[in-house]
Amino acid sequence: MRCAAIGLLALAAGCATVADAPPTPAAPSAAPAVVAPAVVGRKQPVKAVREVSKRAPTLDVAGLTARLRSTSAIGVFTKLALKNQMDDLLQQVRAQHLGGSASGVKTLRQPYDMLVLKVLAVLQDDDPSLAQMISGSREAIWAILADPVKFNALG
Amino acid sequence: MFAPTWAAALLFPLAMLFAAPAPAAEDPALLRDLTAVLMLLAKPCGDVVSAKRQSDNDHIATCKDGSRYRVFVDTAGRAAAQKL
Repeated sequence: MRCAAIGLLALAAGCATVADAPPTPAAPSAAPAVVAPAVVGRKQPVKAVREVSKRAPTLDVAGLTARLRSTSAIGVFTKLALKNQMDDLLQQVRAQHLGGSASGVKTLRQPYDMLVLKVLAVLQDDDPSLAQMISGSREAIWAILADPVKFNALG
Repeated sequence: MFAPTWAAALLFPLAMLFAAPAPAAEDPALLRDLTAVLMLLAKPCGDVVSAKRQSDNDHIATCKDGSRYRVFVDTAGRAAAQKL
């Protein structure tokens, strides 16, 4: 459905075929793109740290999508069940945004967190790097879901 | 007389061995998948210890506690589990 769903849990398209795909190693580009202070030039360390801390958590939707599709840590049924639950959550978010209720969206934070925890639970043993990637993107994804402008912009 | 007796003695255990129903080949990945989907669907199961394929995307899962579920993709395209 939406990109948020993809980023969130892009377990949708082609989940039956991706189950047999070989696991791909974590691509360096797929890692969250937050610049670590250590790699920033030494001349302005304080400024660099400030910039990093001000910056919103980044979200590499394409990388996350690719990793979720290709991971062999989740089977076909699990991917489908997760996709179903993600779609359900997205429908609820959409309904809240259509109703113009900002507080209503906030009530979905707990179901969202529960869903992310489920994803992490099924991933953490067999694909810990992807679990870490999703965990690190949790706030960025929620920021998109909770913001009606960003959410609708996803198409 | 001697030879047929020995042959029978050797062949009988072999015959029994192969006559016994072969245990279902359990794919660990499938068992993990079924375990995870039952957990996601909030079905009490614990670990799935065996599975029998009914058709594509349709399996009978047997849990460690003895309960059995039909795990399948329903007509709406959703993963579903039905207690048997």
